[in-house]
Amino acid sequence: MGVIPPGEGAPLPPGAAQDALLQQVTGELQDKGFVVANVDKLVNWARAGSLWPMTFGLACCAVEMIHAYMSRYDLDRFGVVPRPSPRQSDVIIVAGTLTNKMAPAFRKVYDQMAEPRYVISMGSCANGGGYYHYSYSVVRGCDRVVPVDIYIPGCPPTAEALVYGILQLKKKINRTGTLWR
Amino acid sequence: MGETRIQNYNLNFGPQHPSAHGVLRLVLEMDGEIIDRADPHIGLLHRGTEKLIEHKNYVQAVPYFDRLDYVSPQNQEHAFALAVEKLLGLEVPPRGQYIRVLYAEIGRLLNHIFTVCAYAMDTGAMTPMLWMFEEREKLMEFCERASGARMHMNYFRPGGVSFDTPPDLLDDIAAWTETFPAMIDDLETLLTENRIFKQRTVDIGVITAEQCFDWGFSGPNLRAAGVAWDLRKAQPYDAYAKMDFDVPIGKHGDCYDRYLVRVYEMRQCLRIIKQCLEEMPGGRCKTNDRKIAPPSRADMKHSMEALIHHFKLYTEGYHVPAGETYTAVEAPKGEFGVFLVSDGTNKPYRCKIRAPGFAHLQAMDLLSKGHMLADVVANIGSLDVVFGEVDR
Amino acid sequence: MDLALKDLGEYITGHIPEDVTGYDLQLGELSITVRPESIVRVLTFLRDDVNCRFKQLMDVCGVDYPERELRFDVVYNLLSLTNNSRIRVKLETDEDTPVPTVTEVFSCANWWEREAWDLYGIYFSSHPDLRRILTDYGFEGHPLRKDFPLSGFKEIRYDDELKRVVYEPVKLTQEFRSFDFLSPWEGVQPVLPGDEKAGDPEDNAAETEGDG
Repeated sequence: MGVIPPGEGAPLPPGAAQDALLQQVTGELQDKGFVVANVDKLVNWARAGSLWPMTFGLACCAVEMIHAYMSRYDLDRFGVVPRPSPRQSDVIIVAGTLTNKMAPAFRKVYDQMAEPRYVISMGSCANGGGYYHYSYSVVRGCDRVVPVDIYIPGCPPTAEALVYGILQLKKKINRTGTLWR
Repeated sequence: MGETRIQNYNLNFGPQHPSAHGVLRLVLEMDGEIIDRADPHIGLLHRGTEKLIEHKNYVQAVPYFDRLDYVSPQNQEHAFALAVEKLLGLEVPPRGQYIRVLYAEIGRLLNHIFTVCAYAMDTGAMTPMLWMFEEREKLMEFCERASGARMHMNYFRPGGVSFDTPPDLLDDIAAWTETFPAMIDDLETLLTENRIFKQRTVDIGVITAEQCFDWGFSGPNLRAAGVAWDLRKAQPYDAYAKMDFDVPIGKHGDCYDRYLVRVYEMRQCLRIIKQCLEEMPGGRCKTNDRKIAPPSRADMKHSMEALIHHFKLYTEGYHVPAGETYTAVEAPKGEFGVFLVSDGTNKPYRCKIRAPGFAHLQAMDLLSKGHMLADVVANIGSLDVVFGEVDR
Repeated sequence: MDLALKDLGEYITGHIPEDVTGYDLQLGELSITVRPESIVRVLTFLRDDVNCRFKQLMDVCGVDYPERELRFDVVYNLLSLTNNSRIRVKLETDEDTPVPTVTEVFSCANWWEREAWDLYGIYFSSHPDLRRILTDYGFEGHPLRKDFPLSGFKEIRYDDELKRVVYEPVKLTQEFRSFDFLSPWEGVQPVLPGDEKAGDPEDNAAETEGDG
């Protein structure tokens, strides 16, 4: 994310101009003890900058999710660090088939997450039942249980697709007007 | 001080727990930090696979097997393909057999890399996962190049494999086998003599050979208890009879031996892969029977008959003669069996899936009794359970 | 291999004739049929006999044939490491007749039997812990029976007003599409109607076995 000078739309690329602006801001901060910024943008920047997902691996997609966290795709570089506890996480990635037996537990985990919370539905099973749509024991889409922000298609979606989905979520957060909700 | 009776308490472990390897729910009866009784609740990923297979034809049923044990999809397909071929009385051409063995071993490597690394992570070591998953990515690339899918290949079809290997793929796999042993060595320097890892695993979850028989153990977990039993040796299928490899066995049947057996099996996998690549025969990779295997795209462009065969195969599928068979393969986790009952139609009448993890998880109570809470995680990791196949 | 299995079949039927009703060799696999009440005796014999040594029970499962009077088959798959052979033990039962549990003989039968109870409703008498295992808590019915619909009866939804997950009757936007490919000219009947007597007697025998 580049630095956006006040009153202009385009971010400054790293270089002398950006350094000068950053120095100005730091100087102002040291001098006056505060800076002026757009609150909603600041909030969005903070939210999108470190999306901590809850590791909710259910089935096959969990393997691809782990691959996305590991060395090759390395989601850490986007500030995406898996958390094992719902209390610490901002986003829940539903990776796999949600069954009737699991649904109450899943909803409980979701309820424990703090606002603002986001849901990524990963894979066709979570999107709408997919290959198991007609089964007697499968929830036909996790959006029957929680509200979903991003759907990632695929069976399973590749790790790249998950990375793309997370970037889409960031975009969505950045577009959200935080103050006039 | 007089004796006081201490009330046991129950601890609910899961169904959402990072070390539960999925969606296991364990109800533990604890005496302090000692486990008195472990009652695994499974079925949280029960997707009704067996019922769905009964409603789909044989062609449509194959991908369900990928999604059972999603860590090593190839081996599951192998069992189903063999079972259907047995009922059809079909012979797979040599090249098809060799490609299957090659990919079955790649599946085994995928599984063992995952298991060993996830196990190391459960017991507190992060680095193995970061190192070895790069190798897993490379293996998945090989899968993608052969079949088009990274994980769920749908590659082993009754009658052979779905496509022949693209050019250069076999050379690239051969080049990779030269680099991989160094990675196993690196993995071993991190874990095998690691003091913390040994403290977490040695003498934890000991099971004797007799208990293994009683609890229906198979695969690496049985071999770790000192039983030299491997279906690839004992009841060879496809090209395994021509392969030269060793079956590693353990001595103590504890978590550490189960880890060691898996690491040695990885090296044996490489041996088999190398032999496959060296001896890879030419010719067709799937049967010539047009009722079972689809014709080539090129044929369909100018042959009406090929077009009809293609259409019939992908709408109706094929009819399998009535009969029943129990066919098992040595999947990375143990004996993966398919009990297939056919009534002569194009849909299986009954397809029972014998998952090794189901039997292994059942012994959790036996393995965990008297151990500390933290050892439960070590036990789950060393048993190598994946809920896709346990719950089906 | 087949000869050895045939000998084994003869041997088993010869030693416990009152328990075993017959044996069958198909596709190189030996299966014996037994009386339900004697399953414990049979499995103990198979496990302990010097010539059998089927020390591992690999699988127990049910099969449903709704048109039969005794609609369920219970199938036990055993493996002998010593002889490197497998055997299948089958027995017939219905919804009401309990089958004696074999958990005393093989501990691993515990969960397999729970599964058969859960999915088929086959009752195993004196089982230590016969609970449902795979299906949802509070599930009704036995899903793998042939008369159980594929999509079941209940589906789940989160209710915003009740603030909990609720069960509702299944509503599908598109029904499961199943095509019948069995014309009278192909498929199940290898013998054309009116042509029964011309068929090979062996074929007919195989067909009846497949049904039973």
